[in-house]
Amino acid sequence: MKNRCLFVICMWSLISFGQSSDDLIPKEAVTVLGINNTSLLKKISMDSLIQYEFMEDVQAEMFDGSADNKTLKDAGFDFGQKLHVFNGKTSNYEVSGFSFGISNLKDLLLVFDDFDKVKSPINGIDYYNSYFNHLIIKGNSGLVLRVDPSYEKIKHVTDSIWIKRGNGYFFDDKDKKAENEGDDEAEEPIGKILKDGELEADDSEVKLNAKDLINKTYWELKDSVTNVLQVNYLQNILVEIFEKNIHLKSQDSKFETQLTHESEGIFYMDNSRNLQNAKGLWYFQTMFPELFKDIKTLYSGNIVVGDIYLKENSIEFKLQANYGENLGKIYAKLNSTKFDKNVLRYIHEDCAGFFTYNINLKEGYRQAYDIIIPLLSKQKDPRVTSNVLKAELLNEFVNLDALFDTYQGSMFGTFNGVKKVKTKRIEFTYDEKTFEYSEKEIIGEEEMPMFTVGFSTGRADIPEKILNYMGKMTTRFKKTDNYWKIDDAIFNSIPVYVINRNGLLVITNDESLAIEHLDGYGKDAISGKKAKNAKKSKFMYSYFNVGEVLSKIPKQVFTVKQNKVLDSMRGKEGYIEMTTLKTSSSYTDFEINYYFQGKYTDSGKYLLDLINSAFILAK
Amino acid sequence: MFLMVFFTMSSCIEIIDDLTFKSDGSGTFKYTLNLSASKVKVNSILALDSLDGKKVPSIQEIKDKINKYKETIALKEGITNVKVETDFTNFILKIQCDFASILTLQKAIKEIVIDESKNKKEIESYWLTWEGNKLTRSVPSITGDLTSRLKKEDIEGLKKGNYMSITRFDRPIEKCENIASLISANKMAVMLKITPYALIQNLNLLENSIVLSDKK
Repeated sequence: MKNRCLFVICMWSLISFGQSSDDLIPKEAVTVLGINNTSLLKKISMDSLIQYEFMEDVQAEMFDGSADNKTLKDAGFDFGQKLHVFNGKTSNYEVSGFSFGISNLKDLLLVFDDFDKVKSPINGIDYYNSYFNHLIIKGNSGLVLRVDPSYEKIKHVTDSIWIKRGNGYFFDDKDKKAENEGDDEAEEPIGKILKDGELEADDSEVKLNAKDLINKTYWELKDSVTNVLQVNYLQNILVEIFEKNIHLKSQDSKFETQLTHESEGIFYMDNSRNLQNAKGLWYFQTMFPELFKDIKTLYSGNIVVGDIYLKENSIEFKLQANYGENLGKIYAKLNSTKFDKNVLRYIHEDCAGFFTYNINLKEGYRQAYDIIIPLLSKQKDPRVTSNVLKAELLNEFVNLDALFDTYQGSMFGTFNGVKKVKTKRIEFTYDEKTFEYSEKEIIGEEEMPMFTVGFSTGRADIPEKILNYMGKMTTRFKKTDNYWKIDDAIFNSIPVYVINRNGLLVITNDESLAIEHLDGYGKDAISGKKAKNAKKSKFMYSYFNVGEVLSKIPKQVFTVKQNKVLDSMRGKEGYIEMTTLKTSSSYTDFEINYYFQGKYTDSGKYLLDLINSAFILAK
Repeated sequence: MFLMVFFTMSSCIEIIDDLTFKSDGSGTFKYTLNLSASKVKVNSILALDSLDGKKVPSIQEIKDKINKYKETIALKEGITNVKVETDFTNFILKIQCDFASILTLQKAIKEIVIDESKNKKEIESYWLTWEGNKLTRSVPSITGDLTSRLKKEDIEGLKKGNYMSITRFDRPIEKCENIASLISANKMAVMLKITPYALIQNLNLLENSIVLSDKK
């Protein structure tokens, strides 16, 4: 009986005070991705996992060779706990890492073989270091953490000490140079490549001049400051997590709730803190602190949470965008609109991808005006006051009904595949006798993605006025009986067609739409489930056939970042559908479902590819 | 970098290199780059900030660079009458200059290539030799360096293009070593026509040894 009581007490203590991977996420984390799928994680090799962008921040190099051919299971990870990857930013430092469960510490340390055990700054935890990365183990849970003080903070503290010691302001010309360096220079190798037998020069033998000595002293001071700040920030985080039990889960009820979900993955992003720590807003924060505070309040509660479900033939993302009261009022007004059924007639049933977007811009504008203008009016800064006056005068003098009837806020877009379009090109033809050549203009064909965008309008006369004016100004704008043709509108080569009828202003480079389907595709327009879903999903709906769209749109039309996202999707089949489920004054629910119709073999890779895409986009 | 961007930009590329030789070794060099068959693609890439992590130059930057090349070429010893024509509607670039001797032309091209390269590596060999009645031409080693930087998918795209190498003389041609070469009906010019893809696969395709008749 005595032993049984002791066992119960021990178990209770373990349950009460033991920390799982859920409890090891610093409260500073802004983005968290949690993966909770045993079968998924068991199959993933460490090498594959660390290749993903979402693992980039936690230094893939830390596994340097030690992860070869090992799965997470071989690496001693415990699948009874979630794997959370996180990163965050405060005004003073950035924090990134991942928390996980441990089933076999010995195996884990074989993978983390670059880490050396050091004296722990906190009682009750095992502490390992590898350069800037830290591995903290408590019980059966682990945390890999990296803390990087911000450049601004380091410079500020260093300069304060430097000037206090009687030195003048240190001009950081190295950083200035780095800012001005172009892409070409970045391609050069950073270090000199030494050939066999060649020795690197010993720095100690290099004679330093007076300026070099000053620089050396400054840089040494800066390194020391960086080190001290890093240690302090890290210490604070560890004390909070392991001594005070303060972490993201204990601080954010939305995240805590999210952790209870039985989904394969969870997602959390605090947009309000993203705004607070955005570097680009530094000037705004400094010059208008009160206004920034108000805007921050407006933005408070802006948290996106989501669940990822892996089903037999689909991967489903359920996202909820939360917002505060005032922002909620604006969104509620924006959403007080009816779906414009006219757009459906211009979307072909076989269309590879399309979206519909439906808002009430007039009501949204009025609500935003009522909320934002009072915030701005409190400011005494002459620039803000002057802009408020301009906004108020425009609001009074401009015919808002005409403006918002012309562009009501609803639009649609379609991708109609790739078609050959006629383009003029120059060919050189040569004379057989002399091989002298001359230029000849011939009509050629080039492949071009076909896009259509359209806007609902209640004032077709206003765009018509603008088009008529343009028609008088340039011969490139030509009016036919039913539509406008703008020559060489895209890339100085391809014409664009403007159809202004049926309460829509439709702009397309698809000639067949303008010539043969002026009033839409009739019986070939979308109908059935897709049309019903678009109508039901009032705010936003999108559909695209993954394989068809990605294989047809040329890579070159996307930026490097977009291509990074799309690369993980290329070669896959199925379709993606995004719908808006519910909008209220405090949240909007979205659902993004990827249906692959059973044509996949490795669900884990599919899911991680998609997660990675979402992560890159969210970054 | 600029050439790399152009190659990447365009699959359907047409290049004409046209060399006219006089018996005294002087002559005219013309180089034409025609991307008009890919102008939609070129325009779409020019609309981007960067491509594969490399900055895409603006049309103004390309114009400035071309003008800089023109000025640099004009300053080279033995090079005169430099003309550059650009057509940014159809993306055609034409460069032409007169040279006093085959050596001055090659020296000028080498100097410009070295100036533009990052490692400033010396180009040792010459690719054109003139021996009074025999012209031997090969492909400069720099072409190999340049093409080795192209990606597989860009190289594949060059199958549709054309590379025309024309060499003209003021005397009739007696014979040519390269069996793929065509001699004009008036015997005063020889042409090699291949795809840029084939050239990249085998740089020796343009090698030729042209023997001229003694009589004009």
